[in-house]
Amino acid sequence: MGKETSAERGIDRRTFFELAGLTGTALVAFSCRDQERAAEIEKGAAKSTLPVDLSWKKAPCRFCGTGCGVEVGLKDGRAVAVRGDQAASVNKGLLCVKGYHLPALLYGEDRLTHPLLRNPDGSYRQLGWDEALELVASKYKETLAQHGPGAVGLYGSGQWTVFDGYAALKWFKGGLRSNNLEPNARLCMASAVAGFMTQFQSDEPMGCYEDFEAGDDFVLWGNNMAEMHPVLFSRILETRRAKPGTRLIDLSTRRTPTSDYADLYVEFRPGSDLALANGILHLLVANGKVDRAFVAENVIFKRGIEDLAKIGYGCFGADAEHYTFKDEPRDSSFDELVAFLADYTPAAVSQTTGVPVATIEALAEIYGNPDRGTVSLWCMGVNQHHRGTWMNNLITDLHLLTGKIGRPGANPFSLTGQPSACGTAREVGTLCDRLPADLSVTNPEHRAEAERIWSLPAGTIPDKPGYHTMDLFRAFQRGDVKVLWIQTTNPMVTLPNLLRYERKPGDGRFLIVSDIYPTPTTAAADLILPSAAWIEREGMFGNSERRTQHWEKMVEPPGEAREDAWQILEVARRMGLGHLFPWPADAWHEPMFEEYRQFGLGHGKDLASYAELKAARGKVWPVVDGKETLYRYAAGYDPYVKKARGVHFYKAKGYGEKAAFFLRPYHPPAEVPDADYPFWLCTGRVLEHWHTGSMTRRIRQLHQAVPASYVELNRADAARLGIRKGDKVKVASRRGELVLAVEIDGRGKPPAGSVFIPFFDESLLVNHLTLDAMCNLSKEPDYKKCAVRLERVG
Amino acid sequence: MNGRLLRVAAFGLVALALACGRGERVPVPGKPEGYAKSSAAVRAARRLYDGAPPVIPHRALGAACTECHNERGLEVPELGYAPPSPHALTRGLGAIARCQQCHVYGDAPGAPAAKPFRANTFVGLPQDLRHGQRLYPGAPPVIPHPVFLRESCAACHTGPAAREEIRTSHPERQRCRQCHLEQQTTGEFHRGS
Repeated sequence: MGKETSAERGIDRRTFFELAGLTGTALVAFSCRDQERAAEIEKGAAKSTLPVDLSWKKAPCRFCGTGCGVEVGLKDGRAVAVRGDQAASVNKGLLCVKGYHLPALLYGEDRLTHPLLRNPDGSYRQLGWDEALELVASKYKETLAQHGPGAVGLYGSGQWTVFDGYAALKWFKGGLRSNNLEPNARLCMASAVAGFMTQFQSDEPMGCYEDFEAGDDFVLWGNNMAEMHPVLFSRILETRRAKPGTRLIDLSTRRTPTSDYADLYVEFRPGSDLALANGILHLLVANGKVDRAFVAENVIFKRGIEDLAKIGYGCFGADAEHYTFKDEPRDSSFDELVAFLADYTPAAVSQTTGVPVATIEALAEIYGNPDRGTVSLWCMGVNQHHRGTWMNNLITDLHLLTGKIGRPGANPFSLTGQPSACGTAREVGTLCDRLPADLSVTNPEHRAEAERIWSLPAGTIPDKPGYHTMDLFRAFQRGDVKVLWIQTTNPMVTLPNLLRYERKPGDGRFLIVSDIYPTPTTAAADLILPSAAWIEREGMFGNSERRTQHWEKMVEPPGEAREDAWQILEVARRMGLGHLFPWPADAWHEPMFEEYRQFGLGHGKDLASYAELKAARGKVWPVVDGKETLYRYAAGYDPYVKKARGVHFYKAKGYGEKAAFFLRPYHPPAEVPDADYPFWLCTGRVLEHWHTGSMTRRIRQLHQAVPASYVELNRADAARLGIRKGDKVKVASRRGELVLAVEIDGRGKPPAGSVFIPFFDESLLVNHLTLDAMCNLSKEPDYKKCAVRLERVG
Repeated sequence: MNGRLLRVAAFGLVALALACGRGERVPVPGKPEGYAKSSAAVRAARRLYDGAPPVIPHRALGAACTECHNERGLEVPELGYAPPSPHALTRGLGAIARCQQCHVYGDAPGAPAAKPFRANTFVGLPQDLRHGQRLYPGAPPVIPHPVFLRESCAACHTGPAAREEIRTSHPERQRCRQCHLEQQTTGEFHRGS
């Protein structure tokens, strides 16, 4: 490692020159290497044909959920450059380092170019598409005939385009009559979905990125924005520069590069954010900071099952194979809330969280100040949480109680990690219990609506949810699910407690994996299908702020690689389900999208038309009469709101068109450090790599910056254990162990008693250590909290 | 690493440095050995394509980036010349973004080059080494790149780190864009369009 960002802050001159002296020789050596590389480039330059005439085309970035606009420079059928799109409102021309290195993601030398079938001896045989697609179709047909729709599965991605997700949904739920369709967004955004659904009966945030200029206080809940959403973080920093008094509050379990920029850094014990939020609510009520008029007009109170023994963690006993806990919400009241919050006095909360009383009071002051706009931001820290939905509820509760919701600069805003977690997984609804536009498979009217749009006989769509992701892979491991197709994701790196999913040869199951590069997941596959990536096909992504963005196909995919949606359409056709996709083979994108759009039109989930999206730098839904809606539920912005002012939560039909404030208690994490395993383990990402690194590690500049995973350790712990930076340590949990180099005071600084390990490195799999505890409602696993011990190696 | 190994490694590095130190140098007053020549090719070696942010060609030094890469640039004893940041005059989103949001460290100096995870066949856009278009020989060339994030012309076109291909002949004139124009379109004027 040693590429830490630690040194952004000043040090004294003497130390500086001492350091400089030490590295001097090395520097000269480096510029020497530059010269050598330069000589190679000069040799090659003679061959290049100048002048360079590029064409530039718009696309959203392929990586995170921010959805930055880029322009791709194209030359002779290849992408040769990108530049930030200055016309894109998301990023206004700026990108992060991943975005600037985008085009190279297409050109890794080991792109998958042909379908590959694994032979019994483990070698692969190349085959043509016809044979491969027939094989997939026959596996699904046979399994359906012999074992029924519960024995087949399809596992997709928040990186699926809208087209891929819609094709998958219609094929599976309308064609195979199976609800065993899941996206990897279950591992990433499901708690936010459950949060918005429980409180507004409609998914996705009400605010938009303009909140970053309009807000006064930005409260980050377990959210390292500086690394994970760098361009949005830049918008906050720029607001603070332009508007003095703007404050950034970082609530976290470890110091990150984000903390370096925070006006207030608040460190809480892992999982105790539940108590912290309740502590703030306690003070808001106690100090008379409740916006009573707003609450009376717009809020109802609800309460669910709170008994820990009934709920469990999804990973112990029988829960470790099936976890299907269901909440039973009942009506509550403000008076009940007051009684409920009696347990969360500042002193009690301080005990649980480790946060000083004065700091809890300061946070209550921030949320309670009616003159300042507060924006709460969160991502994986809150979502990948043993009570992730509860935590989503509590953050939104803070805004409901103070009326800081549905107006510019005052909103709870959940950020997404994948480019189309919103657009595909959430809006198309590629989840085991969902249909497009907030519809649910358990609601007979919703199923009927889908069957009407799809012209399918009533009763086609099954009424029981399929397996959620965690149970889907457990069922596949048991052999209950016999055929599974994975597209555009890498679960053999990302699933928690990964060792339980190792495949044994001849297990009688069939795994199909579509991807662009070999990964640990393709290594587990019986059949590998080569996919077209990003601008090698037409696509649409939906970002965190409800913006749908279209791009056209710009370059040819390598070899025989084809887009995921096409692979699904072809398999469906070979199964006799061609009627689901009755569009011309060379022009199906537009009619498919226009059909999909019907689900949301008139329901407050109106997407812009295909033609509009093709022309625009994205449009924020609901789009009515060509006009996008920056603030959902807000009078003056949302065409569905007929009020003159304020908000109207018109989607919450079951709540009298009001939002639900949910009372949610503190529960301790599933596994806490003890004498045998005395350290907390938290896992996460780094700026340079996107998720499992299958794309970014193939780009030299990004790989060199962070070539391998490592473990961040607190300096005091290291001193106590006699461990120095760069030493190798074995990190062991009850599930597995891993040997890693130690990083101390690097970009992240965990507090004493805790360690942090990134998950991008496929040869150092931190998920061998993690626990498959999950949120009781969203079934999203908690990657942020389990117990480990450390041993020096060698 | 023990002391002996360290000494051997240091000797090796110095030898290597001297070997390539005989390459082309840029003379600098008061610095007899000058600087290693900075050329378009050196520039290209540090970035994926023309327009991509360069990697950081040195190791973290324990100071804020802008201590050395300030508005004027800084001669750092033993290390060399730290060129000014071309973003010093940037306003709006790029103004105070974290440097390391876009610039990551390249090969660790002194360590063997990191082995690629997998090879990559991407070929980046080369810098167009012709000058910006001129109306006629002697006319001021137009600016051949976007100005966003490169508002400080002097950072790249003057000073010891300026590559010889793009070094200005008239650094004393300070309002560059009074004669050199950013191009907003590649199209031509048509009446009524």
